[in-house]
Amino acid sequence: MSIIIRGARLIDPSQQLDIVTDLHIKNGHIETIGNLTDVHAASEINAKGMILSPSFVDLLTYLRDLNQIQKGSIASETKAAASAGFTHLCPSPDTQPCSDAGSVISMINSKVVAAGFCDLLPVAALTKDLKGTQLSNMEALSHAGCIGFSNASYDIDDNNVLLRCYEYAATFGLKVFVQAQDQQLGGGHMHAGSTATRMGLDGIPVIAETLSISRHLQLMQHTGVRGHFSQLTSAAGVEIIRLAKAQGMNITADVGIAHLCFTDTAIEGYRSQYHVQPPLREESDRVALLTGVKDGTLDAICSAHQPHESAAKCAPFAATATGMAVYDMLVPLIQRLVDAGDLTWTQAIKALSSNSATIAIGQTTSLAVGGEANLTLIDPNHSWILNSSNQLSRGTNQALANQQLKARVKLTIKGGHLSYTM
Amino acid sequence: MSNLANLQLTDDGQLRHFLTPEGLDRLMLERILDTADSFVVVGNQEVKKVPLLRGRTVVNLFFENSTRTRSTFELAAKRLSADVLTLDIKTSATSKGESLLDTLQNLRAMHSDMFIVRHSDSGAAHFIAEQVTPDVAIINAGDGHHAHPTQAMLDMLTIRRHKGHFESLSVAIVGDILHSRVARDQIHALKTLGCTDIRLVGPNTLMPHAIDSMGVTTHNNMDSGIAGVDVVIMLRLQTERMASAFLPSAGEYFRLYGLTTERLAQAKTDAIVMHPGPINRGIEIESAVADGSQSMILHQVGYGIALRMAVMSMAMSGQMQQRQALALTLNPSRLTGEPRP
Repeated sequence: MSIIIRGARLIDPSQQLDIVTDLHIKNGHIETIGNLTDVHAASEINAKGMILSPSFVDLLTYLRDLNQIQKGSIASETKAAASAGFTHLCPSPDTQPCSDAGSVISMINSKVVAAGFCDLLPVAALTKDLKGTQLSNMEALSHAGCIGFSNASYDIDDNNVLLRCYEYAATFGLKVFVQAQDQQLGGGHMHAGSTATRMGLDGIPVIAETLSISRHLQLMQHTGVRGHFSQLTSAAGVEIIRLAKAQGMNITADVGIAHLCFTDTAIEGYRSQYHVQPPLREESDRVALLTGVKDGTLDAICSAHQPHESAAKCAPFAATATGMAVYDMLVPLIQRLVDAGDLTWTQAIKALSSNSATIAIGQTTSLAVGGEANLTLIDPNHSWILNSSNQLSRGTNQALANQQLKARVKLTIKGGHLSYTM
Repeated sequence: MSNLANLQLTDDGQLRHFLTPEGLDRLMLERILDTADSFVVVGNQEVKKVPLLRGRTVVNLFFENSTRTRSTFELAAKRLSADVLTLDIKTSATSKGESLLDTLQNLRAMHSDMFIVRHSDSGAAHFIAEQVTPDVAIINAGDGHHAHPTQAMLDMLTIRRHKGHFESLSVAIVGDILHSRVARDQIHALKTLGCTDIRLVGPNTLMPHAIDSMGVTTHNNMDSGIAGVDVVIMLRLQTERMASAFLPSAGEYFRLYGLTTERLAQAKTDAIVMHPGPINRGIEIESAVADGSQSMILHQVGYGIALRMAVMSMAMSGQMQQRQALALTLNPSRLTGEPRP
């Protein structure tokens, strides 16, 4: 298949590339970059005013399959991911059944392959059934293709177990993914602040995050395991990571797109669409998270996409399920940050693509000639309204439903083939 | 905040649900107090019934036990001549959401006019109001740690009837602010009614995060906290707070925050003492104070019925107006006198 994309703004942070030109894809690879006025292909796309970047890699998502079909299927959610510019996904291991065995991982992978929209970069459970008592077969799972290990949102209480998890992972050079939130202090329903106090909702204090990050950092330093922190939420958390990196620790961190865009005040009026874990915090935290992305303290942006059926969000706030369906609004949210001057597209692409790929598989994505064509083409000026007829995720928990949005993925290319087209 | 206010009011600003005093203006709160004042008299009459809610169905929807609040609402509804149905519904921990929605649909189908809702989740009354609007008026009888607006407003009624005004008053609220559904509403109502010196007294373990953002001062020391105040509002302490490590013991709590005659002497000589009840004698308050001349505790109970009659009649009237307005929009012929199709 031969495709020429004409006149797009090519952004590739790995090569410090930012030019308006043409790009030719042939036989699954990037054939040429430059003025291709005289060259023609079977498929040609006029991409004037659009942004072409390496495709995105999602470090945290929830595909809901296998036993949560009412929330989403691998087919529906990987398609939605492709529509957000992703070609590679790292689903959370808290699947049903749990991703703690090669058989489960391979079942998920076969469904992802059959759907054909994205490739799986599996993160397996750190402990069996995520119970925090017994190690998973990490070495075997890594041979089966798992790129890392995580206990999802389940904190491991027992320091002996956590220490051994890290010692064992370090033995084989494996990477651990951590969602740092102390289980006891994290028992509330939203950020502990003035909004929670007024609404009478139990709060989750910032120290639930910082205490947990510090604990994991100590154990990582002690064992030498390679660690990645998922979904930071607070200014204080970002500062701890910044200091740890300055001290030379081999760690990385990401932030969920929701935490870059929303704060706890969005919950005002008990709006369950904004009920997420870890919680949305205050404006000063959001600003610190953005600074973290810009100065590289936070390497990546993940979606933390969590689709739900409508009943899951239709109850008194505390009884509603946590999480936001993100894929259908991810690119418009980035565009909002760009329009507000909070982030540039280059910074966003670095965090969504080159850095997240490096964290997941140890090598960056790029637009290098000769490389595999994994690309995302974004129309930053496309104006549209997200609604149930055009959303691709099965999740009805769309925070921006029926709102006027700007920017949309025009097409996503995986391995030289169109995996999504608007 | 604005959306809370909007949900509680009809298009022309009448009360249709009463979920929290937050977002309601001073005029509305004063109207509630004025109406309640007029019902205090009804309680003193030989025949205690007025026909304001005749033919209306009021459902007491209690997802959480509360004999006292439930009985006062029941009595208030009966004095307004409503038909009253009381339901105690135990929530299933696993599928709260579904079962609550199903329950609501069923009750709505029975053409109820008003739900009095008590629920352990903050925001439950708000959620139910969103689900049943515009058919049913909702009165919040306590949701989680959020609100208990009729209790807070009966406290305002007590203060106004015994102090006459709010502007120059100093009010101390003492005890478990963190878990109190009343304290937040008291703060909103006091501020809206013009009170500027609101002090919260208790240890840090019972003080909510960032509570000073509500325009109050916090005091760990009881003596300085109540020094010179006009009103002392004691909150009830749940005994399970000791087991969950908020406090070491009831004895230590009483020693530090219990209201004794000596301590009350720090307040103004004509200070009044209030408590939402039921009181824990010797834990929050000494018997001599609870039964003393400055205590308003039994007055509060009587005012509670009048206040509840007031908000029930006001919300029902607002709800009826809204329904009629809606019916006219849907069928304008009723306005123009044209024959119905």
